[in-house]
Amino acid sequence: MEHTEPSNELIQLTVHGVVADPNTETHIVILRDEQNTEVLPIWVGTAEGNAIRLAMEDIVTPRPMSHDLIKSFTEHLNMKVSRMVITDVKHNTYYASIHLVSKDSERTVDSRPSDAIALALRTHSPMYVTADVLKQRSGGKLDAWLEKLDVKHSGKHEA
Amino acid sequence: MITQMKVRGLMFDPYNNAYIVILRDEDRSDMLPIWVGKAEASSISFALENIATPRPMTHDLMKAVLDTVDAKVISVVVTDMKDNTYYSKIHLMYEDSEYSIDSRPSDAIALALRTNAPIFANEDVIRKQASEELDQWLENLKPEDFGKYES
Repeated sequence: MEHTEPSNELIQLTVHGVVADPNTETHIVILRDEQNTEVLPIWVGTAEGNAIRLAMEDIVTPRPMSHDLIKSFTEHLNMKVSRMVITDVKHNTYYASIHLVSKDSERTVDSRPSDAIALALRTHSPMYVTADVLKQRSGGKLDAWLEKLDVKHSGKHEA
Repeated sequence: MITQMKVRGLMFDPYNNAYIVILRDEDRSDMLPIWVGKAEASSISFALENIATPRPMTHDLMKAVLDTVDAKVISVVVTDMKDNTYYSKIHLMYEDSEYSIDSRPSDAIALALRTNAPIFANEDVIRKQASEELDQWLENLKPEDFGKYES
C-alpha cells in the first residue's frame, strides 16, 4: 500500500470464512480485499460467528435470528442498508458503522463489526474497511495465526 | 385476550444447556417460562441489570436502527406456541402507522427491556404451556431463582 494514499480511502471486503479459534471460545471472521492481497481477521463471539456463518451458507432458520429481525425492521420501515465500514481499531477492538438510507437521507449507526457483517451479508450490502485500519492490523502475529487455522475451512467460501 | 407480563427471572437449565426466561403476570397467577439461547440470555440479563457494555450488543444495535428513523416499539406480544417453539410479534409505530413484525420471544424481550415497552402474552399460550414437564421443572427450581428480578 502506498504511504501517500489518503487515510480515508475505503477498501471493499468480502467474507472468506469463519473459523473457530482453537485457543479461545471465539470465532474468527476472515475478511479479504477484492484483489485477495490483504487479509483482515476479526475475532467475534460464538453467537455472532454463527450468525455470519448462517448468512454465508444461505441457511434459512425456522425462526428469524436476531440479524434477520434487524433486516426485517429495515424492510418494513423502508430503510436501505447502503454499506458498512470498519472505521477504527483501538486496543484490538474494531469499530464499524452501518449506513442506513431512509427517504434519501443517510444515517450511520455505531456497531461491532460482527453485527455489521452479519447484517450486511443478509442485506447484500457492500463491506469496506478504511486503509488506515487495514494498515494497523498486526502483520507478524497474523501470519502465525493463519498458519494454525484450518486452511480447508477458511477456503470454503472462496467466491 | 392478552395479559401483561414482567420478566421475573432468568436461570440456567442444565438439562437442556439453555436458559429460561420466566415471565409472570402482574398478580402472579400465570407464569410463562421461555427457553432461550446463551447469547439471548446474556442480552436480556444486561438489560435487566442495566449493564452498559463497552460496545453496543446486537439488541442495542437493533434499538439504534429504530432510533435513526424515530420508530417506536409500542409493545411485544408472545402470540403462540407450537411444538415447543414460541412465536412473538413486535409492534412498531412509525410515522403514524403500526407495523407488526414476527420475531422470537428472546429478541422481542431483549428489545422490549431496552425500549421500556410492555410485554404481553396471549392467554392461549399461557394455558398451553401448563404441561407436566413444566411442573417437574419448577419443582427443581430454588425459590431464590424467582425473586431475582422482583421490582
